[in-house]
Amino acid sequence: MALIETSGLTKHYGQVKALEKLDLAVEPGIIGLVGANGAGKSTLLKVLLGLLTPTSGSASVLGMDTVRETRAIRQVVGYMPEHDCLPPDVGATEFVTHMARISGLPRTAARERTAEVLRHVGLYEERYRQIGGYSTGMKQRVKLAQALVHDPKVLLLDEPTNGLDPSGREEMLDLIKRTGTEFGITVVLASHLLGEIEQVCTYLLAIDAGHLLSAAPISHFTQRTPVLAIEVEEGADRLVAALAAKGARAREDGSRVLVAIESDALYDTVRDAVADLALPLVRMQQERGRLEDLFRDATPGAVAR
Amino acid sequence: MSSPNPVTDSSPAGSIYDLGYRHYEGPRRGRIWAMWSLFVESLRGVWGFGRPMSAKAAPFILGGLYALPALFQLAFASVLAKEISSGSGTELMTYRVYFGMFYFLVIFFCVAQAPELVCRDQRYRVLPLYFTRSLSRAEYALARLASLAAALFLLLMVPCVALFVGDILMQPDTFKAIGDELPKALPALPANALIAAALSALSLTVSSFSPRRAYAAIALVAYVLLAEAVPGAISAIGRNSDWTWTDKLFALTPITSLIGASDWFFGQTLNPQEFTGSLTADAYVVVALMSVVVFTMVLLFRYRRLPA
Repeated sequence: MALIETSGLTKHYGQVKALEKLDLAVEPGIIGLVGANGAGKSTLLKVLLGLLTPTSGSASVLGMDTVRETRAIRQVVGYMPEHDCLPPDVGATEFVTHMARISGLPRTAARERTAEVLRHVGLYEERYRQIGGYSTGMKQRVKLAQALVHDPKVLLLDEPTNGLDPSGREEMLDLIKRTGTEFGITVVLASHLLGEIEQVCTYLLAIDAGHLLSAAPISHFTQRTPVLAIEVEEGADRLVAALAAKGARAREDGSRVLVAIESDALYDTVRDAVADLALPLVRMQQERGRLEDLFRDATPGAVAR
Repeated sequence: MSSPNPVTDSSPAGSIYDLGYRHYEGPRRGRIWAMWSLFVESLRGVWGFGRPMSAKAAPFILGGLYALPALFQLAFASVLAKEISSGSGTELMTYRVYFGMFYFLVIFFCVAQAPELVCRDQRYRVLPLYFTRSLSRAEYALARLASLAAALFLLLMVPCVALFVGDILMQPDTFKAIGDELPKALPALPANALIAAALSALSLTVSSFSPRRAYAAIALVAYVLLAEAVPGAISAIGRNSDWTWTDKLFALTPITSLIGASDWFFGQTLNPQEFTGSLTADAYVVVALMSVVVFTMVLLFRYRRLPA
């Protein structure tokens, strides 16, 4: 049984088509949900939470239908919204304990889980202070803590690194990665930043304008194209010509030359070509495919729709 | 990923005290527990518990002022108890007239605290966190409503209890006094319950239409003032021009109709000097109950429409 499944999932807001016939089957792991702003990421998360009713089609989480079994789903799902969602005039401990109780945890369990989760997200002495005085990074931690406090099986995170500085971003991603790998909680991480997804996720869902662009393990994207990048100080055009003459597929990319690695003999070919032309070679490295290519390769039609 | 450094790494991963993440295996309760938890949290919130001192100021000052006259009577009673032979003759305030005399403090309490309950969650967008848990929108609204009603009921009952104690202290035979006073005091329970239900439904519903506390408070004040004044004005015109229906407009007044309704519980006919309209006490009770239903339905409608 797939963890999250949708079939023909469609959500329209009036004329706006937020999701269009989405078919998904997601296995446990850390799942990156990537797409531009307005691509339908938040809408998909809200449908999975049962906050929105699909226009047509259906979705299920852990085998439970999002429309008919909303309450059962919510006991095992944690949600961290994209926007601010914390009242300023209470302490983190008080707020997270309250949210734990609303999730159905008895009084003592709520207190214990809150202490544990706040420690996990890295809030210590400041957890008794009022949330209004927290930095953005601390607020994001509290938001994550309230999503984790009832020990969900699935965690839905909507842009968890929003508004964080680079080091805060790293810490948050690290925290998410630990949550996903060490605790066995499936994380769906919605983001418009490919770098983040690449860093922590094991599986990638790319959506664009409500359509599924691709769904596959992250390694599939990052190892797809074995390419050798050669950096020379001058004469890139001559190198391309020389390589092409020897039968290699090469093209110029700024100051670099990109060659498809078809066999190990290519390295010799490149060495000889550079030596023959006496070019000042700076660097040779194997280029890995990057997630950006996914969107660069997207058909113009899919983007325009 | 950063490698764990035992010296500089402050994350719990590097600490020997870390027991690791433990899954929760205990019971998970349902919506009744969630509603009860929200009710308790709201009730504490209305009185400012678990909030900074500044949040306690308004409810406690207003609540204190509302109880003050009754407490004075209690103080006089305990001092003068031996010198007064028959207690009931000296009463300034009775259970029946108390709300009618000091209702403005109760309204201030609503204006100050009802927005606190519903605007905060809208303004700081806490609602999605509730709606993605075991609570439905209607359950959320009803729990909030119940907590304000309970807070108002407490506020209304404190002076009644003080009056009760004062009346007993004034009389030499305590047990006989309790027997005499209780039948007079008991109608205060249903009367105040009705007032609390009606005022909480009114003020929470009006407040829920704005995420900003100040706007909600202004709207509430404006609503109460207008609804109180306009029917009187129209019926005054009506009396000069033979329109009898204008007298019925007093049903729309939030305060007058509640004073009339509470009189019904004390078995009193309405004082014609206070109630110029043609409605009877029975009618005011029906009006008050209907206002509870109508405002609650508007509140539920409002929460069904709020974006999550």
